[in-house]
Amino acid sequence: MNRKKDKGFESPRPFKLTHQVVCINNINFQRKSVIGFVELTIFPTVVNLNRIKLNSKQCRIYRVRVNDLEAPFIYNDPTLEVCHHESKQRNLNYFSSAYTAAVSAVDPDAGHGELVIKVPSELWKQGDEMNVLKVYIEFSLDQPKGGLHFVVPDVEGSMAERGAHVFSFGYQNSTRFWFPCVDSYSELCTWKLEFTVDASMVAVSCGDLVETVYTHDMRKKTFHYVLPIPTAASNISLSVGPFEILVDPYMHEVTHFCLPQLLPLLKHSMSYLHEIFEFYEEILTCRYPYSCFKTVFVDEAYVQVSSYASMSIFSTNLLHSAMIIDQTPLTRQCLAQALAQQFFGCFISRMSWADEWVLKGISGYIYGLYLKKTFGVNQYRHWIKEELDKMVEYELKMGGLPVGSNGHLTCPTPHLHFSIKHPHTLSWKYYKMFQCKAHLVMRLIENRISMEFMLQVFNKLLSLASTASSQKYQSHMWSQMLVSTHSFLKSISNVSGKDIGPLIKQWVDQSAVVKFFGSFAFNRKRNVLELEIRQDYTSSGTQKYVGPIKVTVQELDGSFNHTLQIEENSLKHDIPCHSKSRRNKKKKIPLMNGEEVDMDLSAMDADSPLLWIRIDPDMSILRKVEFEQADFMWQYQLRYERDVVAQEESILALEKFPTPASRLALTDILEQDQCFYKVRQGACFCLAKIANSMMSTWTGPPAMKSLFTRMFCCKSCPNIVKTNTFISFQSYFLQKTMPVAMAQLRDIQNLCPKDVLNFILDLIKYNDNRKNKFSDNYYRAELIDALTNSLTPAISISNEVRTVDNLNGDVRLILEEITRSLNMEKLLPSYRNTITVSCLRAIRMLQKNGHIPSDPSLFKSYAEYGHFVDVRVAALEAVVDYTRVDRSSVELQWLLNMVQNDPAHYIRHKILSMLGKNPPFTKAAESPLCNEALVDQLWKLMNSGTSHDWRLRCDAVNLYYTLFGLTRPSCLPLPELGLVLNLKEKKAVLNPTIKPEQGPDTTEMTGITMGGLITMETVSSVSMSSGVAPPPQGLKRKLDSVVGPLGSSSPEPGQVLQEEDTSKKFKIRVRISSAEDEIDMESPHDSQAFIHHHLNILERPSTPGKEPPAVDQAVLSLPVTPLPSSFGKESTSSSKHSGDHHHHHHHHEHKKKKKKKHKHKHKHKHESKDKERDSHAFSNSPASGRSVRSPSMSD
Amino acid sequence: MADPAVMAGGFSAVRSGGGKATSSPAENYQLARRRTLQVVVSSLLTECGFESAEKAAVESLTEMIQSYISEVGRCAKAYCEHTARITPTLSDTVVTLIEMGFNVNTLPVYAKRSQRMVITAPPVTNAPVIPKALIAGQKRTHPSHIPSHFPEFPDPHTYIKTPTFREPVSDYQVVREKAASQRRDVERALTRFMAKTGETQSLFKDDITAFPLIAARPSSIPYLSALLPSELELQTLEETDSSEQDDQTDSENTFLSDDPGADKENSMLPPGGVVPSVKASEENMIDNPYLRPVKKPKVRRKK
Repeated sequence: MNRKKDKGFESPRPFKLTHQVVCINNINFQRKSVIGFVELTIFPTVVNLNRIKLNSKQCRIYRVRVNDLEAPFIYNDPTLEVCHHESKQRNLNYFSSAYTAAVSAVDPDAGHGELVIKVPSELWKQGDEMNVLKVYIEFSLDQPKGGLHFVVPDVEGSMAERGAHVFSFGYQNSTRFWFPCVDSYSELCTWKLEFTVDASMVAVSCGDLVETVYTHDMRKKTFHYVLPIPTAASNISLSVGPFEILVDPYMHEVTHFCLPQLLPLLKHSMSYLHEIFEFYEEILTCRYPYSCFKTVFVDEAYVQVSSYASMSIFSTNLLHSAMIIDQTPLTRQCLAQALAQQFFGCFISRMSWADEWVLKGISGYIYGLYLKKTFGVNQYRHWIKEELDKMVEYELKMGGLPVGSNGHLTCPTPHLHFSIKHPHTLSWKYYKMFQCKAHLVMRLIENRISMEFMLQVFNKLLSLASTASSQKYQSHMWSQMLVSTHSFLKSISNVSGKDIGPLIKQWVDQSAVVKFFGSFAFNRKRNVLELEIRQDYTSSGTQKYVGPIKVTVQELDGSFNHTLQIEENSLKHDIPCHSKSRRNKKKKIPLMNGEEVDMDLSAMDADSPLLWIRIDPDMSILRKVEFEQADFMWQYQLRYERDVVAQEESILALEKFPTPASRLALTDILEQDQCFYKVRQGACFCLAKIANSMMSTWTGPPAMKSLFTRMFCCKSCPNIVKTNTFISFQSYFLQKTMPVAMAQLRDIQNLCPKDVLNFILDLIKYNDNRKNKFSDNYYRAELIDALTNSLTPAISISNEVRTVDNLNGDVRLILEEITRSLNMEKLLPSYRNTITVSCLRAIRMLQKNGHIPSDPSLFKSYAEYGHFVDVRVAALEAVVDYTRVDRSSVELQWLLNMVQNDPAHYIRHKILSMLGKNPPFTKAAESPLCNEALVDQLWKLMNSGTSHDWRLRCDAVNLYYTLFGLTRPSCLPLPELGLVLNLKEKKAVLNPTIKPEQGPDTTEMTGITMGGLITMETVSSVSMSSGVAPPPQGLKRKLDSVVGPLGSSSPEPGQVLQEEDTSKKFKIRVRISSAEDEIDMESPHDSQAFIHHHLNILERPSTPGKEPPAVDQAVLSLPVTPLPSSFGKESTSSSKHSGDHHHHHHHHEHKKKKKKKHKHKHKHKHESKDKERDSHAFSNSPASGRSVRSPSMSD
Repeated sequence: MADPAVMAGGFSAVRSGGGKATSSPAENYQLARRRTLQVVVSSLLTECGFESAEKAAVESLTEMIQSYISEVGRCAKAYCEHTARITPTLSDTVVTLIEMGFNVNTLPVYAKRSQRMVITAPPVTNAPVIPKALIAGQKRTHPSHIPSHFPEFPDPHTYIKTPTFREPVSDYQVVREKAASQRRDVERALTRFMAKTGETQSLFKDDITAFPLIAARPSSIPYLSALLPSELELQTLEETDSSEQDDQTDSENTFLSDDPGADKENSMLPPGGVVPSVKASEENMIDNPYLRPVKKPKVRRKK
């Protein structure tokens, strides 16, 4: 891109935006439509600015004026349908490159856009000085599928009484979905925002609310916002609804908004926001950059938290009352994340996608600092370990995850099924891991330069930005508000004097993690520890690490840190020990933190002074460590090492040592109050596993039972649990977890011991929450989970139908509990319906284990729109699971149908990602579900069905990848056969069924080429796809069957038609030549499309946001074979009529005329030409006749 | 209490032959009085010169005289109670008679008339025994300011808590057991009822009544019921709060004094914007654009 490495920011556009007005006059909740206009103030940076490219998706544009002069424009969106009319390409490589090309073709970071406005010629030569241009665009949105989400509950009353609201959403830069703008994070400008809404509603948007004015009829109010801080359009948002307003009692410039009736929850949930504010302002030594802050809680949110300039939109499900324990920390964390992103992400924006990691990294890093301060170091370290493990696992699985700068551009990623060059082509999981890695890398930088310097760097970035933000545009300072990898690194080296280049190169530019294997031997003679650290750098997702590594050795005399150098060929490291081995000397043993403890040393090796060894204890490398040490060392580590990460590692390791000593160590941890609760929770599950492995030698009551009795049951009657108080949260979490872990115990028959089951049933029975000021809903839900865990497969007599009568006695008891709990939920619903969620999971488990008949209908009813979102997700998960186990195509169809039609975007996304996680089949296995129809359906979904939601489209791509892999799905007919057909194609009969599609098709051929980039992409994709390109056998069959009857009635319908069509083309051509001086678009393709669009105006006033109807009809009209839509074009172009030489020639000529660029290729054989045509089809797709059909102001 | 019912059901038919007279002491007593009244009526008739009378006539007259006397008694008692006494005095009776239109002055003359007949005293029958009230403690004596003629205090158990000497079921286990099973029974009955009266879903195909599940019904605003605490929970919250309030008030005074301020601010939020006069000055300091009144549109006057 146009970014220069060491200079400031250079805009890719021939103009600079300085100010934008967005005015939305009318929001109609009934029709879900929006009408408004925008006005952009731009300064041309070239002398003859004749075209302005803006971003806009799904908006219907009525008129465009530049400085009060009507301006012609083209509106075309290549991402609507990624691959046009192709039938044979079903491989993901092809799609991915086409999709990347389409996204790049309108990428604002490259200066492109969907909306191309021609500046009226009167304004071209207004002298040499740069004159301001005001671009005024009137637009409307009708039932937007993306960008804005309307929630309109179906109840009686006015819209305000119904709680109807609307809010903007999107993944990355998605503002173009709801108003025309330069949808780039790097194009900053000041804003004036006006929203006219019903008098009973509130419009919350970015910036300061200057005034609220009634309209003349007093029925509506206009909210006037001004945002004087230069902000990217992508950071602008809006939410309108009958919100209840709460001014923060501690900070009056902070206002909270929630839906009606939720005010008490809002008050409670927001009562600690000021602490987060104070924390960030203190560590950054910088005031919150905006003059106000707004939080809005909306239903059916796209993501839990999304941050925009001076406001954040949250899911309403984060609100909770004072009675709820579990949600409280989660909500606080979400608030903290949102606020961190206000500083880095909204106020400070990024130069390009390659710099995104800096912003995500910094906001994630300061969020981590908040976690450390509020929830403690244990929680923080636990979180870091969790994130590191997640990220490492993902990298090892996917084979690398480059996050930043050069990585994006240089690092080849052939192993991925999506392109990482653009945020909109990423898999959602990747994006999450990207954020994860970004903040981990920031932590590595902190390790290198110290936290103090780190915060100084942040402060420097912020103060530069805030100085710049107060400047006028003319001072050219605004780019200081954009951060880039380069400027960030420069700040670091200025502040700390350290060069962290290598670190960045290793972790940011390069993908992959390090995998260590460690083992050791103790050399008694030399009193030396011989440590061997090997690396696996050959398997995918791994890299070789060279450099320092810290090793901590706990000896009898204390804990010692050693820094070893990992070099090319040195595996062994000798570490001298400080203490001689000595037994039975009563002396306290000093730990790392200075504490001195008594230990029972009888378990250890008499000859060795080593208690335990840790490699890279501070997690200062992005790595996975597998270390071998004796079981007693792990046990010592668990008991005496004070670092929670070490404790968790030892718990994991102890699973492999099912011995009484391990059991004792784990039990001791469980009993220790001082121990971090998450470690204790982990110990529960480990203990259950150990108990199962030690089944034959286990003595005493089932694991944890007596412990639980001692901790949580009454002294006088040990079978009855105490009435709930939940005063101590540590015990509360332990009390919740222990039954769940206990239920994993199994006896010799591999059943859950009767004791344990009865114990859990008693816990449910005697549960008494009357005297508790906290809700017990999470606890009860976990007890149901425990019941679920206790289930084991039913002993089935072959193919027996499950009936009530042959229900196992224990299962009957379980089922009774579940039925009762689920029914009670209807009468007294629990917070977030946690119990329903657990019950649904339990029922699915009962079905899966063959206790009750497997049947998805219950889940389907709970999955319907109108249930609480958590319940829906749980129900959908069950349906997804059913689909896989029972290989049901009906359910799969039902799910896919929901993906297309459900009102809640989150649910759609969730279905696809659950299908991806628990796929009905995979590319490796055969399945009756895997058939052509499904391939086509999914293809259509990702090709055109999900154009309104980047995330959803990537989810669909992910699913397609999981099901079929990168190459052509195996269930499709072999490509070789298709190839034969392809050769014949030129002589084959012209398919007459394509009649209605010919017009648009031919135009499409001659479409716009969007700059050089896309052409490059095209070429590469051609080479990629050439091997598998040709159409499947199915096409042939279909053609034959269709040609049969039709052909007999009229022998050559296609030919005639083709002629008509070409004559039309000539007409168009003529028009072009006459119009060319008036409309000076660079390439003839452009003008062609432009004119065509003019011709089309009258026929097609519809918005481009919708699926082209013609395609659908074509699909429907096809008999028998489900190969859809797109076969039309190929067959037209390479007409099958053997005798139709005339047509063929004609065709050929045509191309020559119009595509000078590709002329040379026409000398190739026909076969190759056909392939080429295919590639054109998509490369030119941006200009397809279909896309170019916004109504315009030609008059 | 149970006895008569049993008798009526089981034995009365058997005993009806000889058992009427011996039915109950109270009945005997009344029969005897009635008989006396009949004698009185008969003698009065004789006095008036009748030689014989039909039984039905005598019966009617007896009925009339009984009503008259009862009315006199009832009225006299009412007068006496009206003046806060419990035993009617002569004057009560006199007033009653006057009230009933009887000339009291004629009474002495009538009583001393010569031809009056002397009736034998009614046979002595035992007045019905008032079942003895349960005495479950020492009756309290009147305190000094209450005159002794006032009725005695009732038995203490009727107005103060009755001390029971056997410990109630205090066994913790039993109590918990009982509470748990009670709750479970209620819940089960309730859910079964709901399931029977409404739509259900079933887990089994062969027996759809086996484990009835109340059908899932989508709601138009699902987040409300899922997020807001139920009334029951709020109630318990209040209870536990009020019990804890005492502890908190001392230690958290500072906190509490902050809080009302916060609440005030919110209370003024609702659209009216009418500031309660109490803390007006403080609240005016909050300058939040969302609290400002909505401006009227500018009226453009063309001159």
